[in-house]
Amino acid sequence: MSFLRAERLNKSFGGVAAVQNVSIAVPQGAIFALIGPNGAGKSTLLNLLSGIYQPDSGSLQFDETNLIGSPAHERVRLGIARTFQKIRLFKQLTLLENVLAGFHVHQDLPLWKCFLPGGVGRFRDEAMDLLAFVGIGNRANDRAGALPYGQQRMLEIARALATRPRLFMLDEPAAGLNAAEVDFLLKRLEKINQRNVTVLVVEHNMDLVMNVAQRVFVMDHGVALFEGTPREVQANSRVIEAYLGGEFAA
Amino acid sequence: MSFRFLSIIFTLLLIAALPWLLTTGYWRGILVLCAMNVLLAVSLNLVMGYTGQLNLGQSAFFAIGAYVSTILMKTYGWNFWLAALVAIAAAGLVGLALAAFAVRLRGHYLAIASLGFAVITYQVLLNWESVTEGVRGIYGILPPVSSTVGLFYLIAGIAAVVYLLLDNLVRSPVGDTLRAIREDEISAASLGVDAALWKAFAFGLGAAIAGLAGCFYPGFVGTLVPDAFGIVESFTMMAMVIVGGMGTMVGPVIGAIVLTFLPELLRGFGELRLMIYGVALTLVVLFMPGGIIQALLSLRNRMRP
Repeated sequence: MSFLRAERLNKSFGGVAAVQNVSIAVPQGAIFALIGPNGAGKSTLLNLLSGIYQPDSGSLQFDETNLIGSPAHERVRLGIARTFQKIRLFKQLTLLENVLAGFHVHQDLPLWKCFLPGGVGRFRDEAMDLLAFVGIGNRANDRAGALPYGQQRMLEIARALATRPRLFMLDEPAAGLNAAEVDFLLKRLEKINQRNVTVLVVEHNMDLVMNVAQRVFVMDHGVALFEGTPREVQANSRVIEAYLGGEFAA
Repeated sequence: MSFRFLSIIFTLLLIAALPWLLTTGYWRGILVLCAMNVLLAVSLNLVMGYTGQLNLGQSAFFAIGAYVSTILMKTYGWNFWLAALVAIAAAGLVGLALAAFAVRLRGHYLAIASLGFAVITYQVLLNWESVTEGVRGIYGILPPVSSTVGLFYLIAGIAAVVYLLLDNLVRSPVGDTLRAIREDEISAASLGVDAALWKAFAFGLGAAIAGLAGCFYPGFVGTLVPDAFGIVESFTMMAMVIVGGMGTMVGPVIGAIVLTFLPELLRGFGELRLMIYGVALTLVVLFMPGGIIQALLSLRNRMRP
């Protein structure tokens, strides 16, 4: 039984078909990579899965729940979290405040108590743990906007983890990171996966994809091209053609 | 004893002392206005400063509080406090209803929608003469407390309580949620925040507090005319929030105090008064983008070794 299952998803923007008839099934517990050349529709597909966009047609289920029509904020309650390709932190807030905001769906403090003294949440320690987990625990009270780029990516991951996802989707988390940072990211993704979180990662960095992913899904020009293990993807002539052009294919 | 506790004690002592430092009837009247403006600035700041929603219609909720409470007292003979409760609820509910539509709009569109609402409210007050008396106005309105000093203590006390409640709120998880919406709505949604719901909450609460301030205005002035609630009032409240320091609790209080007293202090300049006022406002916005509170904080940081 698939954890996340989409069938024949379509999404067009003013006549441009960004995603056409894409069916994808993500098994529970996997690290699943979504790759493809620029403009392949990977980010659009991720936006459809996370609820930023609604598909024009097709079906979408997560753990037996129908997701069609469900807005992004409701999907978080089901256990779906994501990060963004273009980092979207709360830049004026501190690192700690960023992560605390991530606990929103787990807050159980009654509204009236929030007007009284001491109505603070009980997630501070957990938030600090998450910051330490991504290697920025020592900067908890700095403004998020003041972080170097690589650490901003890690903060976004910590913030999304605060929602306690069962499915964690990352849109190009390695973009703009140096080799050491990519290495750290890779280790964190494996750690997250070991905590029984299914990981779906859109990525250009082939090192990362080939090293951590158990399954790879390839898209090109809005359609699904191929799905298999990293080894199978590397050997597939259609994938090579999509990336390098026709004459390089065997 | 914490810094917060000491600040509360100091502020309460200051409130108690103020009418005995400014002893003329005229300046005591300014104090009453000032306390009302603090309430208004704090209410608008919740929407603008903490939730990031540009709201140019706050004068309308101030008006609803004033007219609903006055009409209930004058026409139906209600007691002030009962009338005030209903007026606050009315302002809050109208705010919620407006928000239910307006929260789908962002940025300039919400600003225009709220501005439109303020203009419509003003026109209704002007033209629905059978209820509001229009330009003729309503006369002989009594305040809940007869002495000016008593009225100041009452409004300042209420403002202090509202301030403390909101100060707790913005430190609570709700505060984290509102700030998250202000910073990036899509990001907030990706964390499970129903932005439309929380924006409506802030908008409605802000409207109710403006309505609360409105309950005291007619009794203080003694008469009620629509001109007190033109859209320029919305801009004055916005100026208080911005000049003081948007998105902080203390900032808008400072802004309200400064912008209540500054025009009075400039009276000696006669016709030049408005020009000086305008130039001062422009300079603050240009050179202190974080408002007076931000300027004070950076000054303090520079003084430290």
